[in-house]
Amino acid sequence: MRSKRAGSAVEMASTRQTAATVFLTACLALLAACGPQEKPEEVNYRLKWLYNISSVGDLYAEAHGHFARSGLKVNVKPGGPERDALKELELGHAQFGVASADQVLRAAAKGAPIVVLAQLFQVNPLHWIYRPDQTAFSGGGDLRGRRIGVTFGGNDEAILRALLARWGIAEDQVTLFSVRYDYTPFYERRVDFWPLYLNAQAVIIGEKLEKAGETFAFLSPDQLGVRFVANSVVTTRAMVEKRPETVKRFLAALLEGWREALDPRNEQTAVQVLLEADRETPEAVVRRQLSVTRELMLPPAGVAFGTIDTAAWKQTEEILRSQGLIPGSVDVESLLFTFK
Amino acid sequence: MLHRRIYQFLIIYTLGLGLLLALKYGLNLSDYVIPSPAEIGRTSRAYAGPYLLAVLNTLAVAILGHILSIGLATLVAVTGRLTAWIGSFIRTAAYNIQAYPMVAVAPIIFILLGDGLLSRLLIAAMICYFPLLLSFIGVFSEPVREIEHFYESTGRMTWRLQVKIRAFENIQKLTTVIVGSATMAMVGTIVAEFIAATAGIGYSIRIALYQSDLAKILVALFLIGVGTSLYLVGLEWAGNALQARWKRG
Repeated sequence: MRSKRAGSAVEMASTRQTAATVFLTACLALLAACGPQEKPEEVNYRLKWLYNISSVGDLYAEAHGHFARSGLKVNVKPGGPERDALKELELGHAQFGVASADQVLRAAAKGAPIVVLAQLFQVNPLHWIYRPDQTAFSGGGDLRGRRIGVTFGGNDEAILRALLARWGIAEDQVTLFSVRYDYTPFYERRVDFWPLYLNAQAVIIGEKLEKAGETFAFLSPDQLGVRFVANSVVTTRAMVEKRPETVKRFLAALLEGWREALDPRNEQTAVQVLLEADRETPEAVVRRQLSVTRELMLPPAGVAFGTIDTAAWKQTEEILRSQGLIPGSVDVESLLFTFK
Repeated sequence: MLHRRIYQFLIIYTLGLGLLLALKYGLNLSDYVIPSPAEIGRTSRAYAGPYLLAVLNTLAVAILGHILSIGLATLVAVTGRLTAWIGSFIRTAAYNIQAYPMVAVAPIIFILLGDGLLSRLLIAAMICYFPLLLSFIGVFSEPVREIEHFYESTGRMTWRLQVKIRAFENIQKLTTVIVGSATMAMVGTIVAEFIAATAGIGYSIRIALYQSDLAKILVALFLIGVGTSLYLVGLEWAGNALQARWKRG
């Protein structure tokens, strides 16, 4: 009896010990869970325009955890006509942004402390649509005598003027037609060339013209020798100097997101990511836009995605300077940043 | 009156500009975000002339649109005064149309009428017309019993007399409404130009925004303020002259 009692006392003590150990372990686990954890670093990333195909990689990087895996919480914010990523960078509302080269150069010319981290579009998506049956076009010289749509004040005006200068066409040898959002003048054949973004509106307009049985083609400034840089990723000099690790992690995650979004094997996922943010554009249109975007953004084989085309930047600066759009010259190379 | 309006505007403009410059130097912002006084000066010298012409262009369209609206609102309000049903119908229609944002309606107008003078005029008139109409209907539908009763009981009341009595008794209210709607006509014209026109200060502001050039916008705002103040003073002066003339008559 005694030994039985003693045995059960030992068992009870052992059970209590186990329960206490389990309890302590649970408490420690709970404490560990509640204790200080490494929080992801939060940054704001202001896009140039509303969510559309030109931001598919940015959204992909966010949705597929590229930023999170780099220890970052990135708020990808849409841009728009009233939003200027460069001003937000300087005011500290955003740490990274997307801006076109003309915006960057104008800002730099006025002392804005910004640097370019990567160039998204290798070919500027701004093109002019025309009807080959109405407008024979085989080279820049054929612009002479034509009626050409242009957004006065917009970067298409700068590109067009550069084209005219390059092909030796005086302004009085063409008719410039003020362009807004309404394509009626082009549909009515009142204008020969109409500016649009090849990876955005061109897909929609092209579809309409196809339905109407019309033929169309695109004038590419890049192919006519005017290489005017479009969207690039920018940040402030202070970010690069004071938080270089954050900049490195952000850029690596972003470019990885872009590479994956543009990979044809990930097309379905990329389209879904964009459709979640942009519910207005039909899926079929997004697919076609993605295919065009791929052609405009991917650099030649062997060149890394996001590579900055210094020669194109220098040409852009020269265009702006020659047209009096920036007051003086800008040291382009000091603007273009690469990690050593 | 002119001096008061202008210096009041100058005080407001200077305060706003001062605040911007305080922000610029307080936060050490570049000229790209907020231009320096030197840059504002340079831009003023380069653009004051063309922008002044653009403001005058806008002002001319705004005045024309305003006059058109006043005439149309008077006509509709005088007609609407005849029966309670017509008055109530016009009022409901005016409220409904006024509820549509002009930025959504304007592109349709530009598609139909092009980006010339007519579209700008129509949009300016539409923006200031409905507030004018609602006030005018209120004034012309409300009988001035103590005066009208006399003419009605003596059988001398005509519709012209009735309109005159109501206008005379409410001249102060009408002048205030007309002066108030003048700024709306100016805003309406600028909005129209901003959306789709190819002339006027709204168009110039749009180009300046494309170029992220705040100095140009500040110069444009200054000239718009001066132009609008001058127009308001002119209207107040005309209102006072009319009142004095009616009182003498």
